[in-house]
Amino acid sequence: MQPNFEEIYLQYSPQVFRVCMGYINDPALARDLTQETFIAVWQNLSSFRNESKLSTWILRIATNNCLRALEKSKRIVTTDLPFDIPAPHEETQEEKLAFLYKCIAELEETERIIISLVLEDLPQAEIAVILGLTDVNTRVKIHRIKEKLAIKFKRNGQFE
Amino acid sequence: MDNLNDLKKIWLAADTGSLPAPAEMMRRIAQYRRSKLLKKAALILAAILLTAIMVSVVFLYKSVMLSTRLGEAGIIAAGLILIITNIGSIGRLYKIKDLSNKEFLGYLEQVKINRRYYYRKTQVAGLSLVSIGILLYLYEGVHQHLLLCIVSYALITIYLLVMWLIVRPRMYRHQAKKLEATINEMKRVANQL
Repeated sequence: MQPNFEEIYLQYSPQVFRVCMGYINDPALARDLTQETFIAVWQNLSSFRNESKLSTWILRIATNNCLRALEKSKRIVTTDLPFDIPAPHEETQEEKLAFLYKCIAELEETERIIISLVLEDLPQAEIAVILGLTDVNTRVKIHRIKEKLAIKFKRNGQFE
Repeated sequence: MDNLNDLKKIWLAADTGSLPAPAEMMRRIAQYRRSKLLKKAALILAAILLTAIMVSVVFLYKSVMLSTRLGEAGIIAAGLILIITNIGSIGRLYKIKDLSNKEFLGYLEQVKINRRYYYRKTQVAGLSLVSIGILLYLYEGVHQHLLLCIVSYALITIYLLVMWLIVRPRMYRHQAKKLEATINEMKRVANQL
């Protein structure tokens, strides 16, 4: 049976938005990318053949959409983080999230996508399918990205 | 990074409340679809209208000179080329988001080849037909008045030269540059994988 678009949208739009946000670090642009993703989902839903999981298919469209949004990605803020300033002790959840987005924004495009999918708790095998990578390659990339992020966090006295 | 679970908690705290409701999303999708289709439909309709006007002129205005008939045929043929190429491009608007990055790069390379072919062959054929058509069509109406004939042909020649030598190559160069930049950017991203 053909999945219902509105149900799909309700279920997956927050996930897609977070991945887009991790990629572009701008709520308005992330909303645009989410909208474009679901326009593509709606257009291609009739051709979805259950060959992969629906979430994999949707996230593949979302990540492809992010990587192709060249005009939007030019506006991404990727200023280097100041590394001598210790973080305030009583950080709010919003501040922590903003810091996380900033750290991710410093990564390469595909690394941003990969770590966003990791933070969405997707299994490595599914991430590999979404990005068209081998399992081994995915595992290596995830490991390297985590290392890069860990350095950024330590430098800023975060999450120790 | 031992505290990945902490990061996941922070990550999931992102506010997604600003996303449009499903009904609003459906409205935006319908609007998007309409606007895309309307733009293309407007172009096709304009081409059909111009061709239809030319065809009706053939029947209403009984031209006597062969040059006028040839001119009419040239303009109608150019109109048909415009209609056919635009109808053919409608399908390309859809179903490109569900491609892998490799397939998408292949798609862009194909677009590049198609555009080059369109610039060198289809557009040359269409523009040649319409240019010759206009020049031939004009003759019957102005050939009895020398001054009118000179002014008309001078103006139309200048217009056609501008289209051929300035507008057409400039538009192609602009589009080709943009496409090349997109292809290079996509290749750079693909190399990261």
